[in-house]
Amino acid sequence: MQCPYCERRCQLENGTYGFCRMYEAVDGKVIERFPDKWCSYEVSRVESIPFYHAYPGSRSLVIGTASCNFDCRYCSNAYVAKEDPGGMQDIMIDISPDNMVQLAKKYGCHNIVFSINEPTVSLPSLRRLSVAAKAAGLPMGCLTNGYATPEAAEQLGDIFSFLNISLKGLSPDFCRRYLGIPDSEPVIRTIRQLAKRCHVEVATPIIESENDHELDQMADILADINPETPWHAFRLLPTHKMTGQKYPSITGLNDKLEALRKRLPHIYFHNFIGSEWVDTHCPDCGATVITRFSLGCGGDKLDQYLANGDCCPSCGRRLYMLGSKVEWNSKEMAI
Amino acid sequence: MTVAILDARQWQQTVDLRTGRKIEAEGPVVDMVRGLLARHPFPGDCEPGSNTWVVDTALDLMGKYKPSFAFLTLARQYYASRYNVMREEERQDLVAEAFAEAERFARESGFLTILVGTGGMTKAITPIDLSTLDGLGVASNWSARYAGLYGLSDRDKAWLTENPHLERLASREEILALFGGGPEDGKRLPEHLAVAKPGYHFKNTSLRRLIMIPDRNTRIPVSANLGAVDSLTDIKGRVLSLLADQKVALVVLEGVGSDDFRVPHTECRNGEGWYCYEPTDAQYLALTSGHHCIFSHNGGYRYFKDDNENKHYPFSGYFTELPTGTIGLDYPGRSISVGNRSMFMHVTTGCDVCCECFARNLYNQGCMAVMFRQDKA
Repeated sequence: MQCPYCERRCQLENGTYGFCRMYEAVDGKVIERFPDKWCSYEVSRVESIPFYHAYPGSRSLVIGTASCNFDCRYCSNAYVAKEDPGGMQDIMIDISPDNMVQLAKKYGCHNIVFSINEPTVSLPSLRRLSVAAKAAGLPMGCLTNGYATPEAAEQLGDIFSFLNISLKGLSPDFCRRYLGIPDSEPVIRTIRQLAKRCHVEVATPIIESENDHELDQMADILADINPETPWHAFRLLPTHKMTGQKYPSITGLNDKLEALRKRLPHIYFHNFIGSEWVDTHCPDCGATVITRFSLGCGGDKLDQYLANGDCCPSCGRRLYMLGSKVEWNSKEMAI
Repeated sequence: MTVAILDARQWQQTVDLRTGRKIEAEGPVVDMVRGLLARHPFPGDCEPGSNTWVVDTALDLMGKYKPSFAFLTLARQYYASRYNVMREEERQDLVAEAFAEAERFARESGFLTILVGTGGMTKAITPIDLSTLDGLGVASNWSARYAGLYGLSDRDKAWLTENPHLERLASREEILALFGGGPEDGKRLPEHLAVAKPGYHFKNTSLRRLIMIPDRNTRIPVSANLGAVDSLTDIKGRVLSLLADQKVALVVLEGVGSDDFRVPHTECRNGEGWYCYEPTDAQYLALTSGHHCIFSHNGGYRYFKDDNENKHYPFSGYFTELPTGTIGLDYPGRSISVGNRSMFMHVTTGCDVCCECFARNLYNQGCMAVMFRQDKA
């Protein structure tokens, strides 16, 4: 039978698995092979994940499972996403939804974010977790490649209130060579679909001379969906099958992004230490409303939150923001 | 103000180390260090050129800055054996390469070069999961054998006490007594510290499968040219004495114990009683400050509680203040440190000019240099 979760729509038979190796067909149903098995749980800053416009300053419990439905040449978590999930079970942790929520609370977290691998490969576990998290008042977010079926994308929207969706490239040639998928249309469809009901930020790892010529077209797509979409342009860190390749030019790429900031006010450029392009400015008056530090790969942090709630401190304009500043220790509980 | 230069390859940013914010800075030392970082892009923690990068960068810096004391860390063999499956012969080749680089440094610098191994490695066994505790277990990324515990229930204590993979469950009071502290010293100590048996380790924040982890290293090797020392904490004083009439380098070889030490050596204590250091900030601080600092730096503190936007030193990891009394701060002559152990060089050595890789969980972001002093003649 056909797997309903991702756009690969793999055929699952008895004893065979699809591309991600996380689902199997049993008694006419597609079920998870490793329900409630997690590779990690750890405390993180929400800016590190990155979310720049969702609950700024908050403490997140970052979780993940195993595997992925993409085959990115530059995968930065290949030791989780590209390994055979069956071979990883000795180091996976069995955590029930209620226990995961308790862990988040004991760690003083405001929210739970699935960000290590692709959530589409573990949707039933995440759905169960979301029920427990909602009951406890914990919002959930995720990073996703967006390559979900429309039905699965609806489930992503049910589970997560904030998502960072990767728009990694546009052309079929790039998608085939760098991501292992035929085209990007399902990803754009998911961004459109989820932007209507959730807080959506978008991330794009830029590979010089490979997808930087598509930035203008991507900007058009995002401007059409929501011109205030926070867009995280990542300087590619050459890892996995691209280890040893040249690091992209920071000044050259930022010159290209600078031209696009006239259309999209919230374009950030980071994934390297000391970036100057991680602050938020009011789209109307240009006032600085949030400043951040960029520590590279999963290390960004809030510096100053200058907004009044979710409004510009200078002109009062409302900003595209989910919630407003969350005090880091506000959810600390006595243990 | 302490100037730090961040180098992300072909692009640099200059910041105030304490605030993390961009500043304008210039001067002969700053300009010299900018050039140094640009000439020596970091190849990566586990890459073949990693230890060579340390020695090349140190020799280049020494040629320009003319220090009398140098602190180096060579860590490639530690990272590689921690995360990569390899045959013992391959691991030995990595250790041999580290000693060869240390020897090259000694030969080309002409400094009296003292080598310290942080202790040997052992095969990692299945991790211990603390997620089912009623209380909270905190295991940090680089500490394998220790975990901090908070709010343990009677059920938790019974489970921990009977766990065959645990060596000890120590209370905060036991740790204070072991290291001679009073109640006021225990603010950053966990309520209990769980200690795993050799090879066992706590499921921590590392996503990568651990292949080898630090062994229970109660003693660590020190090259015989330092003379006999009783404890890791005695090394700083001995080095400062030697610096009175000669140029000295201290080279730390990560993940190397006595069995693998390839030059004449003695051994010294690597902790107190049942507590022995892993290659963490606590071990480095014991070496560089001459004191045990585990009340503030241990594997079980809830470091994340300090991590709000008011925390200073955003490029110094979980350190909220920079340690005092480190060897570079106490030595009046010129000093440098260079290493492929991210963050540790500037935080734990306090040398005038510190140069280190900037890597996060092996992701190679580039380099960072910190200049604590630019005014020494």
